[in-house]
Amino acid sequence: MSRTITIALISATALAIAATAAPAAEAPTRDEYVAGLEKICKPDAEATQRAMKGARGDIRAERFDAAAKKFAKATAIFSANVKEISAEPRPTADAERLRKWFTYLKRQESYLGQITAQLRQDHPTKALRLIQRFIHTGNQANNVVIAFGFHWCSFEFSRYG
Amino acid sequence: MRPLLVAMAVLIGLTAATAHGERRQHGNLIVTLDGGFAPRALPRDRPAPVAVELKAGLRTSDHTPVPRVTGVELGIPRQGVISTRGLPTCKPRRIRNTTTAKALEACGPALIGSGRMVAQVKIPSQPAFAVHARLLAFNGRVNGRRAVIVHGLALRPPSVVVLPFLIERRPGKFGTVFSARLPDNLGPWPRFARFEMSFYRRYTFRGRERSYISASCPLPKRVPFAPFSFAKASLTLADGRQISMGIARTCRAQ
Repeated sequence: MSRTITIALISATALAIAATAAPAAEAPTRDEYVAGLEKICKPDAEATQRAMKGARGDIRAERFDAAAKKFAKATAIFSANVKEISAEPRPTADAERLRKWFTYLKRQESYLGQITAQLRQDHPTKALRLIQRFIHTGNQANNVVIAFGFHWCSFEFSRYG
Repeated sequence: MRPLLVAMAVLIGLTAATAHGERRQHGNLIVTLDGGFAPRALPRDRPAPVAVELKAGLRTSDHTPVPRVTGVELGIPRQGVISTRGLPTCKPRRIRNTTTAKALEACGPALIGSGRMVAQVKIPSQPAFAVHARLLAFNGRVNGRRAVIVHGLALRPPSVVVLPFLIERRPGKFGTVFSARLPDNLGPWPRFARFEMSFYRRYTFRGRERSYISASCPLPKRVPFAPFSFAKASLTLADGRQISMGIARTCRAQ
């Protein structure tokens, strides 16, 4: 009887420890979070740079179809990247700040899709207005997470052609 | 009087056209870069006179003193053309240890811009304090190469610095680069917290109106405006770190 009680007590204690320890193990520190995200963002940022090479030149030369293809690729990379990094566990203390950051990233993702659509429909002026908004939102996103010191996960206009 | 009024009007327009600056953090260092140009509507096929403003800042997130900067590079894109043909030059030694008024007296015809700077002075066992300086930029030549000679005067404590920025042509997006090395003997100046410079100069040479900086907005007819990489600042710090950031602006085709 006493053996059964001891096992039950040990099991209950182990469960309680596991229950309290679990969220702490899941929530990384800011440094761990940044390091983890940078690893994900680096190949995507480099792929974006490759995909977008010459896109601005294409727009200047009125090759809107070619530019649309490049923007479509960049949109796919951006969407996949946002999906992947938004699944990562976030530092508890930065939850609100990161929520705002992801809102801006989602908005950028939407702009990229709209830019691609406008270029496909041969509407350069509308596409360029959206590019301006895309840049502005990217700068807003950077300002929200400036303290994180992101490099690959931050927005850089120079990566877009 | 008229050129002064034109310059003032252009610079007021420039301030209005300038967007908010971009910020980037590297470790505990926060770098800001801002700037703009006026007018924003430019010809598609030929360069037209412009005024350019650049602002850069450096601060620490934990309020520790800013590190020494040993090198500064400011890049502008190829569509910005620097013209010095027929523009008088200023020799750095003519404005060494001079007040702003004396520097203007000596090199006024070579004036191409002006600005302000705030630097931090760090004396051991004392809190850091700020030094405010007025900057003048003159057209010059250093070792046969085109340069911008920056004259800085601070009144409290009184100090003068003359710093040449060499103008280089480089491959890549930022084809025109202004670069300066900040030696140790510059005292507090390398610990700059922020600076802003405006460049604008119109002059006549051989009966032709010229501008120190001109730019075009080379877009096809169906594209009325487009964003472009406007400026890039790179700072080399005393500990060997190099930090850089670029900003984008939009030009409108006439």
